[in-house]
Amino acid sequence: MAWKDSLHHTASPKQQKNVIPELRILLIDENRPRAESLTSALNNSRYKINHLANQDMSLLKQVDEIQPDIIVIDIESPSRDILESLSTISHYNPKPVVMFSGETDTDTINQYIESGVSAYVVGDLQADRVKPILDVAVARFREFQKLKVELSDTKQQLASRNLIDQAKRLLMKKKNLSEDDAFKAMRKTAMDTGQKLDDVAKTLISFLNTI
Amino acid sequence: MIEPEQTDLILGFIPLTDSAPLIVAKEMGFFSQWGLNVKLQKQNSWATLRDKLHAGLLDATQMLAPMPLASSLGLGCAKVQVITPLVLSLNGNAITLSEKLHQEILHENNLAHVTLPLAAYLLQKVISVRKIRNRPKLRFATVFPYSCHYYQLRDWLASANISEEDLDIVVVPPVNMVAFLQSGEIDGCCVGGPWNAKAVRAGIGLTALTSFDIWQDSPEKVLGLLASFQQAKPNTVIALSAALKQACIWLESIPNRFEAARLLSSDQYLDASVDVIAPSLIGSCLTHISMPPRAIPSYNQFSKSTKNAASDGSNSSSNNSSINVPEYIRGEWLISQMKNAGQLKDIDVPADLVRTVFRPDIYHQMRLKLEDQAVQFFRRSG
Repeated sequence: MAWKDSLHHTASPKQQKNVIPELRILLIDENRPRAESLTSALNNSRYKINHLANQDMSLLKQVDEIQPDIIVIDIESPSRDILESLSTISHYNPKPVVMFSGETDTDTINQYIESGVSAYVVGDLQADRVKPILDVAVARFREFQKLKVELSDTKQQLASRNLIDQAKRLLMKKKNLSEDDAFKAMRKTAMDTGQKLDDVAKTLISFLNTI
Repeated sequence: MIEPEQTDLILGFIPLTDSAPLIVAKEMGFFSQWGLNVKLQKQNSWATLRDKLHAGLLDATQMLAPMPLASSLGLGCAKVQVITPLVLSLNGNAITLSEKLHQEILHENNLAHVTLPLAAYLLQKVISVRKIRNRPKLRFATVFPYSCHYYQLRDWLASANISEEDLDIVVVPPVNMVAFLQSGEIDGCCVGGPWNAKAVRAGIGLTALTSFDIWQDSPEKVLGLLASFQQAKPNTVIALSAALKQACIWLESIPNRFEAARLLSSDQYLDASVDVIAPSLIGSCLTHISMPPRAIPSYNQFSKSTKNAASDGSNSSSNNSSINVPEYIRGEWLISQMKNAGQLKDIDVPADLVRTVFRPDIYHQMRLKLEDQAVQFFRRSG
């Protein structure tokens, strides 16, 4: 009955947490033999090439339908311009893009691709190299997205600190309060009304500026 | 004569009718006259063409007029200072509708036939009927986010108060345009030649209007190169601009235009028939398989604006009002278009941006060299 135990064991909730989710790849490559060798190279990995891009259908529609986690594209494909428009004209969520090229000097070009992060250029995609390349691309993309979120959080925090400072100074000037009292008054209003401190500051500024 | 610091150059181009100046300069020997050995490298997408220029894999390239500005601002790419010393062409785009949309316009507006250039308000009925019947929105294609095609399409739609919420605008590579119009994947597109003529010849589209009907005489393609390249090799840039300027002048004559169409049609360039390349070059806009072409003398402009071409038949290169000058006002106009399209949100645009990208100073140095050369030529032959 040992095999049953081990089966049971792998299905335990603790283990399930470690199961790596499958990542869907949209591959845009007109070279069919190369596409097929890539697909088989990624067998038994967390990457699944669900779809080989179909030339007769717009790439946007395919991105919509497949919702890929990664897009892998030949840098010489005319569809490159569609990817370029995903975030500008069409406002799609950013996705990691791996571009490959058999001919071009990719080391040089890589330094110039947008931030070198959301898109990543590699040499010709050889079957034995493809998995580590995808690993790196996904990791870099996630790191970049994390940084982007952190940056916008920091900006947000700075903006609200400015608002609070401004409101505090207005209160001190117009109501003749000490800095400490002005801040306490604002904090009390925030707690009493269940608002955020920077929202209270905003209301105060517009109110104090009109009287 | 000027001595270029670098003689072997690789230039990028996208196979379009208005890549004529590059192909003519190569085929008619203008590059060699200026001591340059140029290799033209066909590119498949604007984004990859741009990245190769940034990385120095291309020494210079044909670019969409807004692209040097976008590169210098770091829009959609790492920030790299790109300059343009020469405007290569004006106009050249058109909006083509699928036959299905053409029929829908006739039907919803109770018309027997459309009048060209087509007024955008005829789309209003189609859009509202589709909305009421819960049918998909119209979908129009353009070629690149930072392109005059996109801004022209927006302007045309805005002329009838049609906003981007009323329809979808997507990017489709020109090579797929005709097939997508036919399959119904898109209902219309704003694209350059020879793609509009191809759709009309194949009987699958109506060319509703040209970009000349929307914006008269605006820069379409420019010569783009890195500011660092120009600093290191100023003479090379002057020689390159001079050869291309000569090609633009050569392209002013209509008989030459037909010869240009033949050059362009070869496999290594557009790989398309003269049937679809020649019309726009000789000022004809094919409209529909069952309708006559429209005369649009400025459909493709390479050297002089229509006004000058009409009053002055000579090929004088000293013409200051030449369309090839990258004037600041042109750059400012493009910036305003980018702004209107919402592409400059959260972007700091330096006050001197246009002055660092559009470089009439280099153009004027080149013009003096070109004049010198012409004088010497006449002395020798006289």
